[in-house]
Parts: sequence; C-alpha cells; structure tokens
Amino acid sequence: MLECKNIAVFYGRHRAVEDVSMQIAPGEIVVMLGSNGAGKSTFLRAIAGQKAKASGTVVMDGADISHRPSHEIVEAGIALVPEDRGIFADMTVQENLILGAHPRRARALEADNMARVLGLFPRLAERPKQLVRTMSGGERQMVALGRAMMSAPSILMLDEPSLGLSPLLTSELFRSLVKIKDTGVGIFLVEQNAKQSLAIADRGYLLDNGRIVGADSAAALSRDEKVRHAYLGAG
Amino acid sequence: MDIIIIGLLLGGTYALMAMGLQLQYGVARIMNLANGEMLVAGAFGTFWFYSATKFSPLISLAVIVPLAFAANWAIYRVLITPLVRRAKSQGQLEVDSILATFGLSFIFVGGLLALFGGDYLSYSYLARPIFILGQPYGLNRVTAFIGALALCAGLYIWLHKTRAGLALRAVAVSPSAAGLVSINVPRASALAFALGGAVTAAGGSLLSIFLTFDASLGVVFTLKALVIVIMGGVSDIRGAIVAAFILGLAETIVASLVDPGLTLAAAYVLFIVILLIKPEGLFGRRSS
Repeated sequence: MLECKNIAVFYGRHRAVEDVSMQIAPGEIVVMLGSNGAGKSTFLRAIAGQKAKASGTVVMDGADISHRPSHEIVEAGIALVPEDRGIFADMTVQENLILGAHPRRARALEADNMARVLGLFPRLAERPKQLVRTMSGGERQMVALGRAMMSAPSILMLDEPSLGLSPLLTSELFRSLVKIKDTGVGIFLVEQNAKQSLAIADRGYLLDNGRIVGADSAAALSRDEKVRHAYLGAG
Repeated sequence: MDIIIIGLLLGGTYALMAMGLQLQYGVARIMNLANGEMLVAGAFGTFWFYSATKFSPLISLAVIVPLAFAANWAIYRVLITPLVRRAKSQGQLEVDSILATFGLSFIFVGGLLALFGGDYLSYSYLARPIFILGQPYGLNRVTAFIGALALCAGLYIWLHKTRAGLALRAVAVSPSAAGLVSINVPRASALAFALGGAVTAAGGSLLSIFLTFDASLGVVFTLKALVIVIMGGVSDIRGAIVAAFILGLAETIVASLVDPGLTLAAAYVLFIVILLIKPEGLFGRRSS
C-alpha cells in the first residue's frame, strides 16, 4: 500500500505540484490523467526520490519513506519507469534485466522473476544479447517494464508508457499491464491517453495545474461529461 | 618488427593506466588531472619498497594497490563529494573537478618532492635480455607488460562478469537509470574513483620496473591517459585498450624512426587526427 499525503514540489517559486494526496493498493491499476505540464511527471519523480525539494509524506506499507534517495525507494518496493524509459541503452537486454534485479529485495527472486518477465515478453527471450539502443520503441518499452518487474516491486509506477507507441503497440502494452496487475502488483499509471488507460484502470485521479481536481472509479470517470470533454476528445 | 614489439609492450602499461582514468571519468564523471601523480606515487612506492625489502616489485603491488585504493577513496570523499553535491549540471562538475584535481596534482608533486627529493630515480630489476623472435628485449619490460595485461584482463572480467562490475558499468551508461535499479550512485562513484586510482598506481608500479622517473613526471602521464581515453571513446573500456596500443606503437615508431624528442608531439598529432575523423572516439557513439 502506497500512500502519498500533501505532496508539493516547487521549482524556485513556481509551483509544479501542490497538495496532492493519493493512494494505491497492490493488485489495482490507478491512472492519473492530466494534460501536458499538469505536473504528473514531477509528482512521480517526487515519489521515486528523484526530486529532493518535495514536501509532504510518502508512506509505503506503513513505513515513512519521504525524502529517501531513489535507491532506497526501490528497496521499499516501488519501481518507476520514467518517461525516458530509464533503461541502459548501451547494454544488452540481458544486462538490463539482471540490473533490474540489483535491489537486495529482488536478488533471491532473480530466477523466478526472469522467467516471469521472459514469459510476459517472449521477444526479449529471443534476443538476450541485443543492445537495447538498437531496438524499436515498443521493444524498448518491454525492456523498461521487464527491468522494473525484475526489481520485484509491490507498486509499479509508469510515466506515459504509451508515449511514442502506435495504438496497436499501446493496447499490447496495456494488456501486459493487466497481466502484471493480476500477479498482485499495484500499478500507478500516469497518462495523457485517457481512453485506453481508463479501460484497464480500476480508479483514476484528475490532475490539473498541479492539483487534484477529481477522483473516482475508472468507469465513472469515463462516463463523466467533463472528463469526456477534456481528455477523451468528445465534443 | 622489434619496433612493433616494443610498442606493444609499452601499450600494455598504457592500457592499464588509461583504464584507471577511464573508471574515474566514465563512471564517477570526474576528470582527474592528478591521475599521473597517482601513477608516479605508485612508482615511488614500488621504488621505496624494492630498495627497502629487495622483494620483487610485483609483490609491492599487494601493498600499493590497497593503499592507493584507500587514498583515492578518501580523496573522493573529502575533495570531490562536496563538488558533486553543489554542482547544478554535469558541465559545472567537470569544470570544478578539473580545477580541483589540477590543484591536487601540485600537492602531490610537492609531497613527492618533500619525501623523495627531486632526483631521477630508477632501480635495476630483471635487467637482462629475453629473446623474442630472435631479438633481445628487456626482461623487465616484458614482465611489466605481462603484469599490466593480467591486471587489465582481471579488471575487464570483473567489470563484465560480476554484479558489482555490472553495477559500475550501469552508472557509466546512465546514472539516473542506475538509481532506479537501486544502485547507490554516490557510493558506486566513490568505488569507481578509488578503484581507478588503485589501477593507475598499479600502472605506475609496473612502469617503474623499467622506467626512470622523477616527481615531476606525472603530468606527462596524465596527458597520455587523457589522449588514450578520449581517443578510445569515453564510454567504452575496449576503446581505451585499443587506443593505448595505438599510442604505444605510434610513440615507439616515431622515437625509433624519426626523433625521440618528438614522441609527445606524435601522440598529439595522432590524437588530433582521430578527433577530426571520428570525434566521438574509436569506440564511442555519437550521442543522439
């Protein structure tokens, strides 16, 4: 269970995120919708420990992990796939996955997780020695997801995973997210692609101008007139 | 033929010293201009060890490598860490670390002068010929070469076959992604800096077997290591090894066929030519 309370991030005097509270439990998919610049990425980076100047509290399974460096956040069971994928482009697929299992919490489970990841993404099993730099966007996203899964997370956070992917690849990706969820991982998805992400999500938050402006079940959000107007392109 | 073999023998020790700088620059992102002084300190250490104990200079490595590791760890913690903390960008850290380590190199030179004096030093160890393909070569040179090659191979295998080595390479490829897989990047950087310093000092130990040296020689080796690392491509250790042999060969060829005084000039001409043709280095990749 990940709980964030009153998270605020400032860039100098500019407020990027203010008073954002949310929670996510294992085995559910939660999506945060917001337009470009709404503060979604900043919020994720604050949880992951990549923004030092964040205030508020982050509690993971009852332990306060606010203001911890990013490598300790991973040990607490939170994995982040950032917008740039956070992969090691100049290394092979296999090396990326092994590095994913670097956290102490994941080492004993390395073989199991490797089998699980390769089962989920057979294409990665076909080319363990390929340099990630030479792969397509969809394949890189598989490496990024696989790398994150290797660290045995309880909560997996993804920043715009559909960015740069075709609609077909996006639905393929989202189907794998559902499979990951079914293994008991909580998935926190930050997206602009409201239609496809609400289709797989259990709940959703709306972020606008750094603040939460709405929270409901995914089904209710996709029916909501304002959401349809703002994020689903319905007139 | 003998020119090529001498060049290769020289290239082996160059490769080791360049691997030291490569670890410091590639992983810890610190361009260490006191690298050559660490090498000379290693040479002095071995000289002192050999003069005092008469044990093989190779045995001195067992003392010098851990000492250099500890010293470089301390340098990173005391001198470099504050720079890393306050740097707002990679560029600023590079400028700051170049200035700081440049200053550090003078402290080293002063310390070595105070401890050992300003004389040229050398000692005689295995100073007898060994015949390769019918030609005589100094056994000391061959010994240093084999020692350097063994250390290079060990380091290469460690970097590519162990989890700790993989983590160091991961930091070199992407520090931000390394944090996401729970690698403690500040600690990995300190480790890489310390290890790089230890490797460089080991290179100095081995060089001292056949080279005459004095306290002011460090800067020459800093520049050579710099040329090798940039020529080879900053991110790839294989590039540094190949570039080290190219430099060793080029220096030997120019020294024997043209003029020994032109060796450094030859190194820089080579450096400039490679940078003009392939600015990202032999094994480097253009950043996209």
